[in-house]
Amino acid sequence: MNGAQHILQAFNRHQIETVFGYPGGCIMPLYDALVDAENVEHVLCRHEQGCALAADGFARASGRLGVCIATSGPGATNLITGVANAHRDSVPMLVITGQVPSALIGTDAFQETDVLGMALGIVKHSYLVTDAAELPAIMEEAIALAQSGRPGPVWVDIPKDILLTDVSPAAITPAPTATTAPADISDALALLSKAQRPLLYSGGGVSLAGAEESFRNFAGQSGIPGVVTLKGIGNHDRQDPFYLGMLGMHGSRAANLAVEACDLLLVIGARLDDRATGKLDGFAPNARVIHIDADAAEFHKLRKADIAMGGDLSRLMAQFATAINAAPLAIDDWQQQCRNWCATKGFQAADNDEPEAPISGPSFVRQLSRITSDDTVIACDVGQHQMWVAQHYRFNHPRHHLTSGGLGTMGFGMPAAIGAQFACPGKTVINVSGDGSFMMNAQELATIRRYRLPVKLIVMDNQCLGMVRQQQELFYDNRESQINLDDNPDFVAMARAFDIPAISIQRSDQIRRGIETILAYDGPMLLHVAIAREDNVWPIVKPGGSNRDMLDESSQRTPGIRQPNGENPSTNAKETAA
Amino acid sequence: MNTPHQHHIHCEMNPEPAAIERLCQVIRVRGFQVTAMTAELRGSRWEMTFTVEGTRAVAMLQSQLEKLHTVTQVRTDAETEAEPARRLA
Repeated sequence: MNGAQHILQAFNRHQIETVFGYPGGCIMPLYDALVDAENVEHVLCRHEQGCALAADGFARASGRLGVCIATSGPGATNLITGVANAHRDSVPMLVITGQVPSALIGTDAFQETDVLGMALGIVKHSYLVTDAAELPAIMEEAIALAQSGRPGPVWVDIPKDILLTDVSPAAITPAPTATTAPADISDALALLSKAQRPLLYSGGGVSLAGAEESFRNFAGQSGIPGVVTLKGIGNHDRQDPFYLGMLGMHGSRAANLAVEACDLLLVIGARLDDRATGKLDGFAPNARVIHIDADAAEFHKLRKADIAMGGDLSRLMAQFATAINAAPLAIDDWQQQCRNWCATKGFQAADNDEPEAPISGPSFVRQLSRITSDDTVIACDVGQHQMWVAQHYRFNHPRHHLTSGGLGTMGFGMPAAIGAQFACPGKTVINVSGDGSFMMNAQELATIRRYRLPVKLIVMDNQCLGMVRQQQELFYDNRESQINLDDNPDFVAMARAFDIPAISIQRSDQIRRGIETILAYDGPMLLHVAIAREDNVWPIVKPGGSNRDMLDESSQRTPGIRQPNGENPSTNAKETAA
Repeated sequence: MNTPHQHHIHCEMNPEPAAIERLCQVIRVRGFQVTAMTAELRGSRWEMTFTVEGTRAVAMLQSQLEKLHTVTQVRTDAETEAEPARRLA
């Protein structure tokens, strides 16, 4: 058995049945071995970035390991953005690349790049295999490492000669299962029992730890109001009466007000990202902090925690739920306050009753949310549409919302939807994109066509880079710079060129019919949605500003906010929590 | 602006390819500047010492270094304020 065959054997041993890749010179031995592989489906994407992002989407939607494969040089460099995306969002991923033969490394050989050096900052770990005898152990370690603790991408770079060298099958000894005693949560419970205004602040770490159920139990049983990060959307039950929505730059006013007013913040599986906290000086100014996360390096990084707890989130949540059941909190006034905020200052978007009215982004997303089923998976791209989905689509599970949170990768959506459809063949998978993002990985239409994936593609087209335009309007004195995309291709014709049917809508009264048409079609279909160029995402916190200084639509008409570096002089946009 | 402080860091790690680069990159990315370093391969492990300067808490750097898969041990000493001449460098 050579190195390449051993890799496939490792895939089999770990039930890795789907991989996303693109062949080339130095990885050819692995592709040769794939010819005889019976239990591995190789998905040929049309660009290596598509491979990495599809593997990412596969992992996010399923909780399983995503695997991508590419050759050396440009194959490997094309993976970089997708791997960085997985790294920033802690997605378990195994990256396999071919490398020039060992004897040629360092000679500037054809398609040689120092991938190990280039990828250091965007991986959980990486290997350059220098001895064929080490390959079996490295594969085992890499697969385990990518999925353990705080997950992340692990990159294995393998010279071509090692792929061809005979290796001995690894003597695999399963890692012993660690047993840990229940954590001491007494200090945290003491803080909690004294709090009058406690607030849950949860993020992507909840689903990464498989703690969705225990988190919901704790939230439900404790009655503690909750806010979520972009990656935490779906953590709360949709019917949770004390759920306030996403916080932060484009968060709900209700969520940001609650953070400002709370006296205890329970941060669960979140890293206090700047998009969520805004200016740190003004973030949760009155609160003590309990921080619970799988990664101890996140503790005290940006905000000093009064109590920091690492370990198994699921188990910790269960412990907290048990304790709260025994000693319920008396926070009725705070709960009522949060419900009031939710009712009056939550995300709102009115449906436009005028049939001829142009389509507004938020209104479209709300209708999409109403029409689609509970287990629909939405893969977003990056920009205004991404925020409208985060604000107005009512997710019921975090793995139904695939979004590029940390890196903000335009072009993420379509390949991620492809990966999700392979992971969840029975579910409806929809890529909600913008006209800018859609063009970033449009070549993957060919992948959808090739595998006849029933992915639904929605392009919200405002003929510009809307999020950049919005910030130029608000913070750069409306000086538009390089955002115009009014020469976009005809997206309907483009999809049809890939043998994917497509329709276009322009008016509010066409929304329902348009959505129902693509959902009813047995196969992939594209819906082009022409939306107003001037639509903005509200609320917005100025980059670098405090979350208390949210701007909304009325602020747009306030003279003085269009200053790139000045303080926001508007007073009606400020709201201080009671 | 915060005053930079000087710290001494002792690391032990497995000698995998790029192990030293990885360590140095984390120090730089997390906001510290290396002003002196020693490295010696002892048996099957690297032993390294760094003198670094930075305005951030060294505990934050230590926790990031401890996350590296190749690193087996990290120790830091008590911080000292960086000399003024260094500060201007």
